[in-house]
Amino acid sequence: MALAVLFISFILLMFLGMPIAFVMGLSSLITIIYLGLPPLVIFQRMSSSMNVFALMAIPFFIYAGELMLRGAIAERLIRLAAALVGHTRGGLGLVNVMSSTLFGGISGSAVADASAVGGLMIPQMTKRGYDVDYAVNVTVMSAIIALLIPPSHNMIIYSISAGGSISIADLFTAGILPGILLALALMITAYIVALRRGYPAEKFPGFAALGRIFIVSVPGLLLVAVIIGGVRSGVFTATESSMIATIYALLVTLLVYRSLSWKDFVHATLGAVRTTALVLLVIGTAGAFGWLMALLQVPAVTIEFMRHFSNNSLVIFLMINVLLLFLGTFMDMAPLIIISTPIFLPVVKAYGMDPVHFGIIMILNQGIGLITPPVGSVLFVGCAIGKISIMQSMRTIWPFFLVSLIVLAIITYVPEVSLFLPRVLGK
Amino acid sequence: MLTVANYSYLMGKLAKAALWISGTGLVVMTIAIAWQVFGRFVLNDTPAWTEPLSLVLMLYFILLTAAVGIREHFHLGMDFFQNIASESTQQLMARISNLMVGFFGLTMLWWGGQLTAQTWSVKIPVLGLPEGISYLPLPLSGTLIFLFSIEQIINPAARKNLAPVSTTAE
Repeated sequence: MALAVLFISFILLMFLGMPIAFVMGLSSLITIIYLGLPPLVIFQRMSSSMNVFALMAIPFFIYAGELMLRGAIAERLIRLAAALVGHTRGGLGLVNVMSSTLFGGISGSAVADASAVGGLMIPQMTKRGYDVDYAVNVTVMSAIIALLIPPSHNMIIYSISAGGSISIADLFTAGILPGILLALALMITAYIVALRRGYPAEKFPGFAALGRIFIVSVPGLLLVAVIIGGVRSGVFTATESSMIATIYALLVTLLVYRSLSWKDFVHATLGAVRTTALVLLVIGTAGAFGWLMALLQVPAVTIEFMRHFSNNSLVIFLMINVLLLFLGTFMDMAPLIIISTPIFLPVVKAYGMDPVHFGIIMILNQGIGLITPPVGSVLFVGCAIGKISIMQSMRTIWPFFLVSLIVLAIITYVPEVSLFLPRVLGK
Repeated sequence: MLTVANYSYLMGKLAKAALWISGTGLVVMTIAIAWQVFGRFVLNDTPAWTEPLSLVLMLYFILLTAAVGIREHFHLGMDFFQNIASESTQQLMARISNLMVGFFGLTMLWWGGQLTAQTWSVKIPVLGLPEGISYLPLPLSGTLIFLFSIEQIINPAARKNLAPVSTTAE
């Protein structure tokens, strides 16, 4: 009964359009009052879910991303991608995917990726004769790559939701190959669609120009190495590496590119504070909500239910993927990770799946959820930039969508794609 | 005299103050962790106060800025049903939502305040500050959330988006 109170109040408040962080807080509060337990517990849980040292990496990675965004680093990466793949047919589509991959290594955020790359690429593509729906679709789908290429603050959220026992360094390295796989799959799709629509090719700038462009983008690209190297080697904690990433981003934009004004700095700082508040408030109230679900034994009941359904691990993994995709259509990533990890992780573990592997599946799965309406923040950003309706984009997005689902299936059923790199690089 | 316009003006100042305090908090936090790394590698002496201090700062800036989010509409929610509803239903749903958020702010003030008071005599290890310091942002933020929700309800001019949509959340 208490569970019904929790879910019904949750769904009603969510449908009302109330911000999700407050929906989770208020429905937890209603349920705890219904249970006759002291409401103080909810606020204590909320505070303790945010009062975690490892979470401090999130504001730092977001801050580093904001600084890079204001400091015009995205432009340089796009120029590099253009020099590398722009000369194929439909080249700008490929440039778009590659830019997202490179920029994803800096921001770790799909919405940031879509707005940075999309903001520059969509107008350019339409000017060069590409249809705007194609430009938007390529932008939003390839933005998911940013979630897989480290750093990815969602992986930190996953690690913490799993009880902090999963190494963030392993998760970061595990995301690299799946990220590249997704990038390749999307580039091939973008190429095929471009061929069928007869889009033009750009001119190859020549190797000398390519070299020059590469050298200019090195400081930005190095950031990825700094982050992975720092976390992987164990010299720094994830939080310390993220702080170093912030200071590095500040130094590069300030001293090397000289593209960061005081105004940019203030914008970047306040922007980082806003985004952190948004993400971490959700973590706080989702922490209280998740605690209540555990108290009401939702994880145990779910395992029982799934066992009842099938004993085949392949079927279980498929069911979990479908369920997560469904939940992802109307919930955002961070709360979904916090709520669903404690429920599904014990299930997949019981079927022999590595927690790092499951983390990568979860990130890609819920990344796809960011493209699906009714709640799809990345899709909304892309459509807003391209000034087209969600429907216009949805009508032609299916080849990209299908390919992402195929990549999700490959990543789910071929654990090596995720686990090879962490094992090879492992201590 | 306290008119709606005056109230909004006051809320604007309050939101700006909360944002700037938060931004400063983030910068101080960056410096503190930088100092920690510097201490460990250069001075061979890892300062113990940097982590707990940064955590407390983070709690303040999350919760203060989260309250500002009510004013700037940057929190994510499912607006699907609002979007397909008629104009008047949409307004009704939004106002009920504002009321609920404001109510949650009040509960944060009430129970968060109790938590703060109960833990004030306990000291945070290393920092030596009262443990209640880390709960204090709950009632502070709750107050702001309540005040900003009132503004949404009484002032139609405050309902439009004030800030650019968050760019790095996911």
